[in-house]
Amino acid sequence: MSRAHNYHRPTTIDEAVSLLAIDGHVPLAGGTLLNADDDPTPVGMVDLQALELTRVEAADGRIVLGAMVTLHDLKCDERIPTALRDAARTELPSTLRTLATIGGTVAAGNPDSVMLAALLVHEAEVGVVGPDGPSSAPLANVLADRGPCHGHLITSVSLAFGGTTAREAVGRTPSDTPIVSATARRVDGTTTVALTGVAPTPVLVGPDDPTSGLDPIGDFRGSADYRLHLASVVTGRALSALEGAS
Amino acid sequence: MKVSLRLNGVARRFECDVHDTLLTLLRREGMVSVRFGSTSGETGAAAVLIDGRLASSDVVLAAQADGHEVTTLESLNTARGLHPVQEAFATTGAMQSGYSVGAMILGTLALLEQDPDPDEDDIRDMLSGILDRETAYVKPVAAIRRAAALLRGEEVEPFAPLVLDPMTDGRNAVEVDPEDPAPDAPPAVPRLIPSPDVPEMAVVGHPEVKVDALRLVKGNPAFTADFEMRGLLHAKVLRSPHAHARIVAIDDSAALALPGVHAVIHNGNTARVKYASGGQSYPNPKPHDQVSFDDMVRHVGDRVAAVAADTPEIADAACRLIEVTYEVLPAVFDELEARLDDAPVIHAEEDTVGIADREHNIVHRIHSERGNVEAALASADHFYEQTFRVHQVQQCPIEPHISVAWLDSDERMVVRTATQVPFHTRRMLAPLIDMRIKDIRIIKPRIGGGFGAKQEMLIEDIAAHLAIATHRPVQLELTREEEFFASRTRHPQTITFRTGVNADGTLVAQDMTVVGNTGPYGSHGFTVQIVTGLRGLTSYNCDNKAFNCEVVYSNIPVPGAYRGYGAPQALFALESHMEDIADNLRMDPIGFRRQNWVRVGDELNIAPHLGETAVFEGELDEYPVVGSNGIEECVAQGMRAVSWHRRNDPEWREPADRPHIRRGLGFAFCMHGTAIPFLDMGGASIKLNDDGSFNLLVGATDLGTGADTVLAQIAAEVLGVPLSDIVIYSSDTDVTPFDTGAYASSTTYISGTAVQKAADVVRKRLKERAAMLLGIDVPCSIVLQNRRAWAPDGRSVTLEEIALDSLHLNEQEQIMGTGSHMSPDCPAPFAAQFVEVEVDIETGQVTVVSMVMAVDCGVAINPITASGQVEGGMLQALGYAHCEEIVLDDKGTMVNPSFGPYRIYTADEMPHTEVFLIQTLEESGPFGAKAVAEIPKDGVAPALRNAIVNATGVRIYDLPFTPERVYRALNDA
Repeated sequence: MSRAHNYHRPTTIDEAVSLLAIDGHVPLAGGTLLNADDDPTPVGMVDLQALELTRVEAADGRIVLGAMVTLHDLKCDERIPTALRDAARTELPSTLRTLATIGGTVAAGNPDSVMLAALLVHEAEVGVVGPDGPSSAPLANVLADRGPCHGHLITSVSLAFGGTTAREAVGRTPSDTPIVSATARRVDGTTTVALTGVAPTPVLVGPDDPTSGLDPIGDFRGSADYRLHLASVVTGRALSALEGAS
Repeated sequence: MKVSLRLNGVARRFECDVHDTLLTLLRREGMVSVRFGSTSGETGAAAVLIDGRLASSDVVLAAQADGHEVTTLESLNTARGLHPVQEAFATTGAMQSGYSVGAMILGTLALLEQDPDPDEDDIRDMLSGILDRETAYVKPVAAIRRAAALLRGEEVEPFAPLVLDPMTDGRNAVEVDPEDPAPDAPPAVPRLIPSPDVPEMAVVGHPEVKVDALRLVKGNPAFTADFEMRGLLHAKVLRSPHAHARIVAIDDSAALALPGVHAVIHNGNTARVKYASGGQSYPNPKPHDQVSFDDMVRHVGDRVAAVAADTPEIADAACRLIEVTYEVLPAVFDELEARLDDAPVIHAEEDTVGIADREHNIVHRIHSERGNVEAALASADHFYEQTFRVHQVQQCPIEPHISVAWLDSDERMVVRTATQVPFHTRRMLAPLIDMRIKDIRIIKPRIGGGFGAKQEMLIEDIAAHLAIATHRPVQLELTREEEFFASRTRHPQTITFRTGVNADGTLVAQDMTVVGNTGPYGSHGFTVQIVTGLRGLTSYNCDNKAFNCEVVYSNIPVPGAYRGYGAPQALFALESHMEDIADNLRMDPIGFRRQNWVRVGDELNIAPHLGETAVFEGELDEYPVVGSNGIEECVAQGMRAVSWHRRNDPEWREPADRPHIRRGLGFAFCMHGTAIPFLDMGGASIKLNDDGSFNLLVGATDLGTGADTVLAQIAAEVLGVPLSDIVIYSSDTDVTPFDTGAYASSTTYISGTAVQKAADVVRKRLKERAAMLLGIDVPCSIVLQNRRAWAPDGRSVTLEEIALDSLHLNEQEQIMGTGSHMSPDCPAPFAAQFVEVEVDIETGQVTVVSMVMAVDCGVAINPITASGQVEGGMLQALGYAHCEEIVLDDKGTMVNPSFGPYRIYTADEMPHTEVFLIQTLEESGPFGAKAVAEIPKDGVAPALRNAIVNATGVRIYDLPFTPERVYRALNDA
């Protein structure tokens, strides 16, 4: 059974923000996490599907994704950089990818999300609306803050395109959520690398010293030491792949 | 709240609760093709099309679907016939249980709508969200390709095996020419190597479509949850948060006070009747160490109480209101530590009898020996000793355990349940609910996979207790989490082999010491470990053999039966050990095994002293011998298919363009059994209908394997009719004959012979009646063929004419026959398992590139379903070897009870697979058949391990081969 004890489908952002101000009310995007949550504490669901947050637009050299764009949409949209389309396919299997959204992915901040790593290297900015109006912040900051504040709503994610990218990962099986992955992007001579599986959220790291300052939490899929080792290996490989591509 | 949506093209308006999921709504509205696999979307069993896109309806609120277009499999069922996609799934054998086939067919429709000619990557990507433990996705991919071709209007070939010439004379090894190309056909097509000993038959041996295909591809009501009951209550179980504790007090008053709650049961209000839950023949092995609700809990997830309520949500809420006071006790999880003096005693209660050493948690001690192992080891030229550890995994049927119990109008207890053992369940349930066997009826509908987890009376007693308490029908369906830690699992073991070998490579002594971890309850603990001994010590000739075993209690989730039943553990250890010995002796790994493996006519010198009907004392006058063995053909076909010669090619093993990759090929020799000799029994009855068709009733329980199809093919062959004239029904303890159940690779061999015997009785009488009609004195000269009885002079009567005559016109009688079968034999299927890997030596990541299994299962009654068994078995075996593991924290709580963290293979990452069916004629089996269901579980782990050895030189002694384990081994080497 889902946690919903109340359901709203606001049609304007203002309405949504007012609903989210109510205690115990949370945004419902695709539902792949919220509706799967077995926490018995009931919540009020503020369904965002009627807010027209599904546009994909190019503006100012960037692509702006509405927060309700699904990973399936991303995978299929030829305007989207290949690395992101591939990440969308890798992130979730077919039956969940059609539901899960880019905004929900950002809000969840899953440390193993290759989608978030791909967004990080594409200089993603997150558009948020709250009681005090719209604002935007780099994805890295939003992740560091563990998502937007209560009562705030992610409305868009914008990203840069261009450059070359490469992803390297290690998992138990080829389609397993990677234990550690590195996504690298080079544009105009500048290289950025984002890692998953080494911190509480996906993180940008220095290409020359990718493990500096990292303090991974080990689990049965990989101890902390092993994750640090993998971080070095997959970063090195991703950088080599960039060399090969350029 | 009101929800409006277009359901299968029709605008509908529904009243829903706000927390209802779309899955709940659809099933309530009768869309039973949408099936429960979990509440978090990852099984895909509940996937439907929402606005034309495949999406898991269990993570969508009904309210979210308001205003949308929802399509289920039922949308295709507008005509009596099948949609081309349904047709393709049926023809290719793309579903075994068919539990998730609705999602697969809908996904196919959506995919083909976008792209009428999708490539394999896109097909596999579509399937990536629909988990399947049965087909390994091999035949679904073929089905989708076929469906696409049909919808493009193309002609398609019949789906049939690729028949190959044998490479050997059936007995002797051959050199495989590296230049000899492997046969080329899609992976879903079984490669069939016929035997000249086997005659051509009309129905047996043919790729018939499964008899249950129609109901499955249409998503018709077929499974336990699909049948509606008026006034149905829902049950939930309160489970222990502690690995080991005494229940000091239970206060159920708040739960009972909750509106909608009808009963709460626990140790305070249920009788203390001891039992053992393993679904096994009478008498169930001791100790009987369980009761329905105990005052002790012995693992996290153990039963504490159960609630029946109007809805699952109320039952859940009521469970949270039950106040339990626990006295938490120390717990132990490791089988070696559990035997120590300071370990907590897990069964201190006096009313559990039959524990070998209660103080040390040793449930059973088992010893068997032939010859003199110690003396022979001491005198052997070479001595080897290795210890292996195998871990705990779960069967993961996509349909969790589910039972519905009610008292019928005669107040007899009826339980419709997902079980592999309806007759054992009836017998075992009776004392627990204080009813007589004759007052209990167990109905087994279709089952969404079992793999041994349902060879258990796991939850039927809870549903029955609650049905008695409430006088209402009660349904108990486990959640995915419960399925992981509160159903059954594979036994972890520590296994030591000691082997003496002479300089020429001949085995002279071999012993096997096993410490088996049976968790908190005996269940299948005795029999699984003794089968480990049987399988570990039967493959190779050796005069001196011994098995030493201790079966040990601990506080892990309960192990039980899991397809393979002790053999996968044994063969991982044995075939790794044999590989390492061959390497040490600098012998060819297959050649060394060949020098020692059993051949036709060889005596199985320890087999009768091990296994479930073991004779422990003394020597026997006679020992079983190998009657049929196609291993040399298996090896030759497999070697050619995988290009075995590459394993010695340094350029292939160390690809120059990928410096961190090492490639390898591995082999395992597999030998299994067919049924439990002197124990397994199946019954069948057949009656003739007015139109010349037959009803076939069997107690055998098809759990998706195709058993019903195979049994009906056997009947059809004997009676000279097409398969479509056999209407099979299984199983219902009120209606069908007894059968021990679906386990131990027994159904085709045991129940199949019972069917053959019953059909022989009917055939004899049909011939006599035909002789009367044709005026012939010698009925035995009549032949049944093509629905007619033929006299030697060419005259004939139809079976319909015989039926009408015998039922209505002359000397009226019901032509019918019964048969039952038990076998003293246990003929062995044999197989050669090959695995190709790539190992990343910098990270330890292992990538399985291909798996090829060549199996001698005698005559495959149906090559499509037989190859499906091998494909699915290899998938599960690959999970066991590579990525699946139950992980407990230090308190005994499972940390990964969901798919994803518990990794099972998905469609988009499967290695290439090929199946070869090597025909031999097993004289003791029906039409020459042996078993096929379990042997594919045996060889993947050792073949993968040996491939890693070939690739890297590193030997690993424990499972699974996850990246960090392999990385550590590479760095320790």
